[in-house]
Amino acid sequence: MKKLRFLFALFIGKIICFLVNIINKEKGTNIAGVFACKLQKDFISHFTGIDYNKVFFITGTNGKSTTNNMIVHTLRNSGKKVTSNLEGANLLTGVATALIKDSSLFGKLNSDFFVFETDERYFSIIYKYLPAKNICITNLQKDQVQRNGEPDYIYQKIKSVINKDMTLYLNNEEPRVKSLAKYAGKSIFYGVAKNDKSFIKNDFYDVSLPCPICNDKIIFDYYNVDNIGNFKCSNCEFKSNETIDFLATDINYDKATFKCLDYTYSINNTEPFFIYNYVLCIAICKTFGISENEIQEAFKNFKNISGRLETLHYKNKVIKYIRIKQENPETLQSALDYISCDKTPKIFVLGLEELKDFAPYYTNTFYAFDCNLDKLISSNVQRYICFSEAVAYDSANRLIYAGIDKNNISILPTDDDTAIMQELDKYDINNVYLITWLKKYYELDKYIKNHKEDKKND
Amino acid sequence: MINELNILWMYPDILNLHGDRGNIMAFEKIGKMLDIKVNINKVESYNNEIDFENNDIMFFNVGEIKVMPTIIETLKKYSDELQKFIDDNKTIVLIGASGCIMAKKTIRKDSEFEGLGILDMDLVERKNIYGDDILFKLNENNMEIVGCQIKMLDTILHSDISLATLEYGSGNNGYNEKTEGAKYKNIIYTNALGPVFIKNPWYTELIIKNALKNKGINIEKKLTDNDFALEINSLNAIKNFINQKGEKDVS
Repeated sequence: MKKLRFLFALFIGKIICFLVNIINKEKGTNIAGVFACKLQKDFISHFTGIDYNKVFFITGTNGKSTTNNMIVHTLRNSGKKVTSNLEGANLLTGVATALIKDSSLFGKLNSDFFVFETDERYFSIIYKYLPAKNICITNLQKDQVQRNGEPDYIYQKIKSVINKDMTLYLNNEEPRVKSLAKYAGKSIFYGVAKNDKSFIKNDFYDVSLPCPICNDKIIFDYYNVDNIGNFKCSNCEFKSNETIDFLATDINYDKATFKCLDYTYSINNTEPFFIYNYVLCIAICKTFGISENEIQEAFKNFKNISGRLETLHYKNKVIKYIRIKQENPETLQSALDYISCDKTPKIFVLGLEELKDFAPYYTNTFYAFDCNLDKLISSNVQRYICFSEAVAYDSANRLIYAGIDKNNISILPTDDDTAIMQELDKYDINNVYLITWLKKYYELDKYIKNHKEDKKND
Repeated sequence: MINELNILWMYPDILNLHGDRGNIMAFEKIGKMLDIKVNINKVESYNNEIDFENNDIMFFNVGEIKVMPTIIETLKKYSDELQKFIDDNKTIVLIGASGCIMAKKTIRKDSEFEGLGILDMDLVERKNIYGDDILFKLNENNMEIVGCQIKMLDTILHSDISLATLEYGSGNNGYNEKTEGAKYKNIIYTNALGPVFIKNPWYTELIIKNALKNKGINIEKKLTDNDFALEINSLNAIKNFINQKGEKDVS
């Protein structure tokens, strides 16, 4: 009876996939899975032909989409057949949709690998039906507090699933995920050596985080990314391993290369957090028999998913947009650090917004106070613009607390696109950086396109 | 002679959840605006000695619930000094989950632990986390305070020790209750984030002045609406935002 129900749900799922493919390929990345899982709660557990030793879950706060896509790209580039939820649908229904697409009419799969980005909250639910043997946890940081509350909330959820039958791929330099090793049968550690972009924090207001083992203070010898770097606990023995399985060394940002296990890789993206994604990808691919040359070939033509770093052209201005997650200070800090690398005169537009992920919407801007703005301030910003109907004043206040002269900040308590662009028009600087939500970026993109059309019609 | 205020910044790296270091920055900045030298003394690790004698305010920002039992055990070693600090009407500020430290007990989903029992309240872990704005008026003077709240714990007051009366948001024990936080002597416990003392510098000013008054220093200087223009604009913008929220949003 269960088998019949599964075949019926699969059949419906395949029809939906077919229809979605005709109507709009970009949308509906999980609709088939939604229907199938409604028809049968444990739908994904009935597929056959899956070797759980070849199933990977990529989870964590940041970097899971990029890493997932990079691993899948590398495996496919090496001739492997891979089933994956590449479109970012990382809940049970997204995984179900990927399985529906790649299976036969009887639910049989013949992929070499199964690589799924999994939302950290739903990791345990997906695992219940698809017991992957390989789990990659990129990092566990503050994120989406309205539903996660604190990092320990997610830590406990993930910990409850980890067992001795699993192999974990863990960031050696992120204390929380590193501490999960003791619950697994085997752990493979990856990391990034100290390099030209590593930094230390020794300002009075710099803070770190509690030790996941004893709750005392974690001390970082240096950071490669905010809250990720060589660390030790101030009280107990917990620390980064001195030697690990996969370590990126000899990072040359000018040449865009790094070494791992004596092989030199050329890469397209050189931001420090990206190096972690590359080395995790190497760790998995090497472990499963992909050669260095094959990995390198794949890296050459890997393109990251769109919407993270984009460029808009408005009149003579080049607006470089960096996507952030407002409820995750590490992505906000990475965006600020990225801007700081450009020392030419610039305008910095900060569009923190009220949060609209879940009801009730609210005005959380407090993670801006987790970020350090010193490097940004010394990077030749000529004008700061803060916009948002609800939180422009709070954003501006963060800048003022960092030591920026309030007379150098335009505060626009509005979300109106015209007002934002008119404010930009006032300044004779063409180099503009924009940090805001993806939705606002699309709105401004549309505004600029319409503006160009109007000009043509004039 | 310049007046000085001494603040113990308790476990800055451990109680570091929601941009809370901003609260300490606010005390430093508002102190400077009042021509007061604010000395901030960090207690970084459980092994550090705590100097109760020479400090006026103990500041506990928000931390993960799991760290609270360790902090409670550490403070138990100083029970006499802490009691004297409280009896001397010195100020203790507790934000969010740090309320567990002074509460009678905290009941988690799968366990419970005792607090220091100084505030007549229990904290109970919620089934679901709740995030929203919060707006309330202090009981002592009707001062309006705005912030955010990320509630993992409900607060059950066992006596009439609330800090404030709620105007918007979730009260100590959910939406049907209109009390916020707790106050006993000069122990202030609030759920407001923001950082709350950045967004409400008028409250920061009040606490600084009260702490100095407690050691016999009266500060005549009064900061004005002009000094707080940005924060007043922020308060009004957020009140407008709150007013636009539908009933559905707050259910």
